[in-house]
Amino acid sequence: MSPIDPRLQEALDAERDPGELPADLREAYARLMSAAELLQTTPRLSVATRIMTEIGRLPAPVHSDGPMRRIIRWFGRPRAVTLRLRPAWTLALAVGLGAMLLLSFQQDSTPTPGASEGIANFIGHFPGATSVEVVGSFNNWSRGAIHLNDDDHDGIWHGAVVLPAGAHEYMFVVDGERWVPDPLAGRYVDDGFGAGQENSLLFVRPAAAQP
Amino acid sequence: MVNEDADVVARVLAGDGEAFGILIRRYEPGLLRFATRMLGNPDAAADAVAESFVRAYRHLAQCRDPSRLRSWLYRITGNRCRSHLARRHTNDIPLSEAPAPALAEASDAWEILERSEQVALVERALAALPAEKREAFVLKHVEGMSYEEMAAVTGARIPTLKMRVHRAREALLEALEEVVR
Repeated sequence: MSPIDPRLQEALDAERDPGELPADLREAYARLMSAAELLQTTPRLSVATRIMTEIGRLPAPVHSDGPMRRIIRWFGRPRAVTLRLRPAWTLALAVGLGAMLLLSFQQDSTPTPGASEGIANFIGHFPGATSVEVVGSFNNWSRGAIHLNDDDHDGIWHGAVVLPAGAHEYMFVVDGERWVPDPLAGRYVDDGFGAGQENSLLFVRPAAAQP
Repeated sequence: MVNEDADVVARVLAGDGEAFGILIRRYEPGLLRFATRMLGNPDAAADAVAESFVRAYRHLAQCRDPSRLRSWLYRITGNRCRSHLARRHTNDIPLSEAPAPALAEASDAWEILERSEQVALVERALAALPAEKREAFVLKHVEGMSYEEMAAVTGARIPTLKMRVHRAREALLEALEEVVR
């Protein structure tokens, strides 16, 4: 494969007037544009009926103003907070906060990411599920290690764990038996078992790189 | 069109499932064309597009920006195509290995080739490209997307996409020139 003249690439990227090209490049330009035009032929088939029939059997999609979004919006909205404290109470509060901070340093069980680690947040919508776990390449696909929580029983399960920075494949295990990819993952890779199943793909940024 | 998409998405999420048909009518032709060019097989393309729309419906609430619905739908369809390609049976004959139509030997061979033969030739040349370059060329020159929109669809960076498009053009041009020489 030989590289083509940069002027031709520029013309094809609409960064140069094709009329300015020398004759041989104009011919190549016309050939490629003609090929593209041929590929623009739209197939004469439709799957609209099939899709509408299939989605007719599905529950209606959850409105985007679901509980999770409402919570996120609530936290994202600026609010004015006024505290009126007596000096003595302020002092007591400062002492209390200091003690809590000290205690939290001693007892903090929340894992903190190292320089080459990052925090992975998992969120899944599984209404009616009794348990949701995350398994993946980071825990040898073993169950029982990472459990998601749904404390308010709204069907939205979430959890955060510290993982080594880089790419990880994972799946959700719902109710201990149903393996499902993360619909929010955005990236998927074939699971390599030949059945066309896909694992979700997660990229963890190192904490050191976080703004 | 962009705002109209957001309106239709809002209607569907408010419970008007039939409104989803508007989105199908709007985007089905382009998605079928894209999937057909990616898979080289209209039946597999129809499956990929149907699966993509159903997936989009199920997860419509998670579409972060309904005004960019087109990119989102192409992204889902691109993922389905990649999945189809990955599990394609090894005994399938790739389109790129189908017999080439007989060619005229005239200097203006391209012009005198019948349109259907031209389409077959170009499809064969396209099918011979690696999937990433094929996708980049189709999104750019068949679907007419900007590099920014292509980045939203594929998740790849713009310089990477430019390089893929450039390489695809080179390979296509070479293949087409060989065939009409």
